[in-house]
Amino acid sequence: MSSADGQVVRAAGVSRRYGEGEAAVDALVGISTEFERGRFTAIMGPSGSGKSTLLHILAGLDQPTSGTVVLDGEEITGLDDGELTKLRRDKLGFVFQFFNLLPVLTAEENLVLPLSIAGRKPDREWLEQLIRTVGLEDRRTHRPSELSGGQQQRVAIARAMVSKPAVVFADEPTGNLDSKASADVLRLLRQAVDEFGQTVIMVTHDPAGAAHADRLITLRDGGLVHDAVPGSTDEVIELMKQID
Amino acid sequence: MTSLAVKSLWARKVRALTTTLAVVIGVAFVAGTYILTDTTFAAFDEIFEDSLAKTSVVIGARDEVEQESGEVPSFGAAVLHRVKRVQGVRAAAGIINTPGGFFDSRGKPIGSRFAPKLIGSNRPPALESITYIEGHKPRDASQASIDEGAAEEAGLELGDTIRLASVERAKSFRLVGIVRLGDASFGGASIAGLTLSEAQRITGKEGEFDQIWVAALDGVSGAELKRRVERVAPPGLLVETAEQNAERNSNQIRDNLGFLRIALLVFAFVALLVGAFLIFNTFSITVAQRVSEFGMLRTLGAGRGQILTSVVVEALLVGLIGALLGLACGFAIAKGLNALFVAVGIDLPTTSLVLKTRTVVVALAIGIGVTLVSSFVPALRSTRVPPIAALQALEVPRSRRRGIAYAALASLLSVAGLAMVLVGLFGGANSGAAAGLMGGGTVAVILGVSLFSPRLVRPLASLAGLPLQRLRGLTGRLARENTQRNPSRTAVTATALMIGLALVAFVTVFAAGIKGSIATAVDDSFQGELVLRNSNGFSPISPGAAAAAREAPGVEIVSTLRATQAKLLGGDGGKPRVSALDRDAGSVLTIDWTEGGPETLRNFADREVILDKSFADGNGFELGDRVRFLTQIGRRPSLRVVGEFEDKADLLGSAVVTHGVMARQFDQRDDLLDFVKLAPGASIDAVQARLTRVIDRDFPTAEVMNQEELKQSQEDQVNQLLGLIYALLALAILVSLFGIANTLALSIHERTREIGMLRAIGMSRRQVRTMVRYEAVITALIGAILGMVLGVVFAALIAQPLKDDGFTLSYPVVTLIMLLVFAAVAGVVAAIGPARRASRLDVLDALHYE
Repeated sequence: MSSADGQVVRAAGVSRRYGEGEAAVDALVGISTEFERGRFTAIMGPSGSGKSTLLHILAGLDQPTSGTVVLDGEEITGLDDGELTKLRRDKLGFVFQFFNLLPVLTAEENLVLPLSIAGRKPDREWLEQLIRTVGLEDRRTHRPSELSGGQQQRVAIARAMVSKPAVVFADEPTGNLDSKASADVLRLLRQAVDEFGQTVIMVTHDPAGAAHADRLITLRDGGLVHDAVPGSTDEVIELMKQID
Repeated sequence: MTSLAVKSLWARKVRALTTTLAVVIGVAFVAGTYILTDTTFAAFDEIFEDSLAKTSVVIGARDEVEQESGEVPSFGAAVLHRVKRVQGVRAAAGIINTPGGFFDSRGKPIGSRFAPKLIGSNRPPALESITYIEGHKPRDASQASIDEGAAEEAGLELGDTIRLASVERAKSFRLVGIVRLGDASFGGASIAGLTLSEAQRITGKEGEFDQIWVAALDGVSGAELKRRVERVAPPGLLVETAEQNAERNSNQIRDNLGFLRIALLVFAFVALLVGAFLIFNTFSITVAQRVSEFGMLRTLGAGRGQILTSVVVEALLVGLIGALLGLACGFAIAKGLNALFVAVGIDLPTTSLVLKTRTVVVALAIGIGVTLVSSFVPALRSTRVPPIAALQALEVPRSRRRGIAYAALASLLSVAGLAMVLVGLFGGANSGAAAGLMGGGTVAVILGVSLFSPRLVRPLASLAGLPLQRLRGLTGRLARENTQRNPSRTAVTATALMIGLALVAFVTVFAAGIKGSIATAVDDSFQGELVLRNSNGFSPISPGAAAAAREAPGVEIVSTLRATQAKLLGGDGGKPRVSALDRDAGSVLTIDWTEGGPETLRNFADREVILDKSFADGNGFELGDRVRFLTQIGRRPSLRVVGEFEDKADLLGSAVVTHGVMARQFDQRDDLLDFVKLAPGASIDAVQARLTRVIDRDFPTAEVMNQEELKQSQEDQVNQLLGLIYALLALAILVSLFGIANTLALSIHERTREIGMLRAIGMSRRQVRTMVRYEAVITALIGAILGMVLGVVFAALIAQPLKDDGFTLSYPVVTLIMLLVFAAVAGVVAAIGPARRASRLDVLDALHYE
C-alpha cells in the first residue's frame, strides 16, 4: 500500500495535450513523480509551464491524455463524476486564489461546508481546534464580505482541512493577497503540515511561498526541470531566474 | 453601437430567446384575439349575406326591445298576399326561422350545447340560397333537411331519422336533404328545413311568419322595392333591404359578442404585463452583468448616449422580432382559443382566418412598445456606469435616496390603486368607467406591490424556505439564501408570477362564493321538488312541458315562470327583466316580500305589477304607483305596483306580471322554468323518472332536475367558466415561468465560479440540481403567497357591495393550498433547464470563469 511507503500521490507518465492536429499544445509531457504524506510541496514554473495543469490532474479536476494518477491508493484517472465527487468529499481539500467562500454563509458555516454537503456532522473538538489555529474565534458569525482577504483565505484553508483529507491542493493561495496576509497564509499551511501532518501541494509563483515548502518542483514547457528542497526565498528567486 | 447591440443579442441567444418569448406570447394573445373575433364576425357576415343572396327586401316584425336571447317576434301571415301584388316583385315568401332542438334517432342532441339550432322553412326557388348537396327539399310533413356540418358531426345520412323539437311535441322526420349555405362553417349551430306548413306547425306559428323575403324583378333596385313594400306593410312591420338586414344582424352580433373580444384582450393584457416584468428583469440583470463591458466602452470614448442607444436598440430588436413572431403565432392562438371555446360548448361559426391591417399594426405597436417601456429603466441605468467600472467589479450604484423614493412611490401606487378600485366599486359610476377604474386601480396596486416587494422577499423567502431547509438541510438553506441575495431581482421575478396567481386566487375565491350563494338561494327559494328547464340552461321551453307534467301521476302543482326583457318608459334605457308567475307560485317559491305578501300573488290581476325592491327604490316607485313598460312587440302596458320583494337569487328579475299580460302585451309564450310540487307521499325519484321519460320523448329540449341536480348544474356552469378563465390565465402564468427560468439562468451564470467551488469541495451534480430547483421553488412560492394574499383581499373587497344581493364569500382553503403546491411544482418545472446547466458545469472551467 502506498501509505506504507509514505506516498500519498503518484503520477506516472502523465501527459496532457490540448487541441488536435497542428494547433495541439502539449501542456504536460510525461511527468512522473511522487508526493510523500505529511509533506509540503510547492510547484513553480513560468506562465505556460504546465504547473496548474499538473495540479488539476493530480486533484482529479482534469484528466490526463495519457498516464495515471494514484491518490491515496486509488487510481483517480478515469473516474466518473459520481466517483470523483466522493473522492473530493473524502480525500481532497482545495484552496483557491480567489478564496471562493459562499457570500451567503457565515465564516463558520463556510468552514464546515464540505461536511454539510456530504451530510456529515463536524467533530466539535477538531472544529474548535481549526478555528483556533486559523485565529477566527471572534469572527465565526461574520459573513465573507465582513472579513479581510487574509481572513477569508484562512477560512478557506480551514475549510480545506475540515474533512481531514489525504491531500490539500492549493492553487496560488497567496496570488490575491498583500505580503502580510500572504505570510499569514503560508505560515498557516506550514503549521497544517507540521502540527496536523497534513499533506499540502501548492502551485505558486511567489518565491517566498515556495520557501515555506519542504520540496520544490519546477516545471518548464510541460516537463520537470528541478526537484529539490527549496532553500531560502533568495535561492528560489535565483533558481527561477535560471529556469526562465 | 447598433451593430454592438445586434452582436450582444446574438452572443446571448438563449437569453434573447426567452426574453423574446415573453413578447411573443403576449402579442400572440392580442393578435389571436383579433384574428379569432374578426374571423367569427366575418363568418357571421358571410352567413347573413349568403342566406339573402337572392333576396332584395326583408320584412320582419318591428323589434322594439332587442332581447339578449336573440328571439324576435313573429307576425300574421295575411300581409303576404298584399306584398306579392306590389309592382316589381318577382317572388315573395313567408319564412320560418325559429330556434328549436335537434336530436338523432336515439335522442342524442345534434350540435353544441349553447349554439342555436334553427328550424327553417322551404323557400321558393327564386329566393332559395341553400344548395342541396344531397337529396332534395322536404316535400311533405314527414320530411326534413339538415346542414352538412351537422349531418357530418352526427353521422347522418339520407333516409335516417332525426327528431326536431320546438313548441309542439317533438316529431321524427325522415332526412331527405343535406344542404350547404356558402363557405362559412356554422360552428356548433345548425339549420334544419321543413315544409312551410310543417315548420309553422311545429314552432307553434300557424298562420304566422318570422320573416317575408322578397325578390325583385330585373331593373328594380332593392331600395326602390323597399319603398313600394313599405306602402302596403302595416306599422308593426319593419321593411329593410337585404343589405340593411344583413348589416343590422351583423351589428347585433358585434354588440353581443363584443364582450368576448374585450374579455380576451383583458387576458392578453395580463400576459403582456407579466411579459413586461420579465423583460424589465432580464434587461436589468444583463445591464448589471455588463457593467465592466460598458465601463470599457466608456474608457474607449463611448458617450452615455451611445451606451443608451446600444441597449435601446437591443430592446427594439427584441420587441420587433417578438412582435413579428407573435403575429405569426396569433393564428395558432386564434385556433387554440376557438378550440377552448368549443370545449366549453361555445362553438362559434368560422371561416378562413381574417388578418386585418389593424391587427398587424396593434401587434407591432404593442410588442415594440412593451419592450421599449419595460427596458427603459435598465437602459437608463446603463448610462450611469462610470469608466472606472472597466477595472473594478462595480455594482451599478443605487443611492439610499432612491430606495426611499421607491418606497414612497410604492405606497402611493398601492393606496391610489386601492382607492381607484374602491371608487370603481362603490362610486356608482357607469359600468364602463367603473371597470376602467377597477382595472387601472388593479394595475396600480400590482405595480405598487411589485415596487415594495423587494422588502418582502427576505421574510417570505425565509417562510417559504423553512420547510425545504428543515427537510433538505444545506441545499434548502443555500437555495433560500440565493433568493435573498438580490431581493429586487427575486421580487420582480416573483411578482410576475404573482399577477397570474392573484387573478387565479381571485376568481377561485369568487367562484366559491358564487357556488355557495347559488346553493343557498336554491335552498331558500325553491319549495318545489323538481324543476323543468332547457338543458342549455337559458333558453325557454315549450309550455307543453308544463302541461305534460301536470298530467303526470304524483304531481300536485306545476307553476311556471316566463321571462322577457322590456324597456321601462322614462327609465335609463336599460332592459330590465320582467317575469310572469302563476297565482299559485307561492306554493313552489319562497318570495321574500317587503311590501304585500302571498295573498298579493294569489289575487294578482292583469293590471298589476310586483317589483323587485332595488328596482323600485332605484326608480322611485312606491306601492300604488303606475309603471309603464315598452314591450318587444311595441305595446305599452301601464301597471299598478301592488307589492315588492327582495330577490337574492335574482330569479324574477325586476318586475313580475301575470301570465295573461306576459302573453298578450310582452308576447312571451314559452316558459323559462316550471316548478313542480309533488303530491304528499309521492316519491321524488319515481316521479322524476316518469317525468323524464315523458319530457325526453315529447319535449327533449327540456330536462327534469331535482334540487340537488339544479344546484349541481349551476355549479358546473360556474366551474366551466372557471376552467375557461384558468386556461386563459395559463398563458400569463407560462410567461412568468419563463421569467423564473430566465432569472435563474442569469443568476447561475453569475455564480458560475461559486458553483465550481461547491463542486470542488464535494457537492454532487444532484445536489447542485436540487439547490437550483429549490431556488426556483422558493421564488415561485413567494409569488404564490403574494398573489394569493392579493387575490383574496380583492375578492373580499369586491364581495362587499354584493353582500346585499345574498353573496357570501367562502374561502376554498383546499384549493388555495393546491395552488401553492401547483406554484411549487411550476417552480420545479421552470428550473429544469437552469438546474441541468448548473449541474453540468465543468468544475475546472467553472473555477476559472471570470
